[in-house]
Amino acid sequence: MNDEFQPRIIAFLCNWCAYAGADLAGVSRIQYPPTIRVVRILCSGRVDPLYVVKGLQSGFDGVLVSG
Amino acid sequence: MAVVRYLMELSGIGADRLCLRWVSAAEGARFAAYVQEYSEQILRLGPFLPDDFALPLAAMDKALGSPRLRWLMGMEIKITEKGNIYGEKLDEQAYRQLLNDAAREEYEKALVLAALRTRPGTVRDIALETGLPVYTVSCRLNELERSREAELCGYRATSPEFRHVGL
Repeated sequence: MNDEFQPRIIAFLCNWCAYAGADLAGVSRIQYPPTIRVVRILCSGRVDPLYVVKGLQSGFDGVLVSG
Repeated sequence: MAVVRYLMELSGIGADRLCLRWVSAAEGARFAAYVQEYSEQILRLGPFLPDDFALPLAAMDKALGSPRLRWLMGMEIKITEKGNIYGEKLDEQAYRQLLNDAAREEYEKALVLAALRTRPGTVRDIALETGLPVYTVSCRLNELERSREAELCGYRATSPEFRHVGL
């Protein structure tokens, strides 16, 4: 395994909760790893089980659902 | 999401690859902490190679999209709280059990079909390719035959060979 392994995580963030939280983290300059790729969704209830499978099929190392 | 975790564990992908966290709009610091924590966890798990898991992933995709699971997942409240017209209900745990059993069956069926996608095979071929026990493959093939998704297409010596219908 290479030493430079940088995880790639797909993050499904709810527009009203976690997305705003992520925004706040950015605005208040809190450092967090650049590993997540954010997909904004209008509600975390909108996340279909198939999204998770699709995420993994596309080569992401992990899936984070947050709302 | 519990079903997805269950299937991920079953397929050997590992449920740790999926993470569900609640963060409110006012909790920037908590969000950052979760991302940090989860990144470290993935770093420990190492990279995920989708090619190694092509078969299980295709099967999960098919199983999670199957009408049977969709109906069951959509009727959770009806089954556990409202009950049917006779007032029969299942408790939370019985429902979970039912859902997990259905998910496992659908997943195994999809796995068998996925294995037949490339070429016809005998029960033993399929068992070898999918890692399922021979008896399980045989049961699932039976169900697939009944729903006309797989069919008998000939014999190799004395072993019956099956193929994917419509390919």
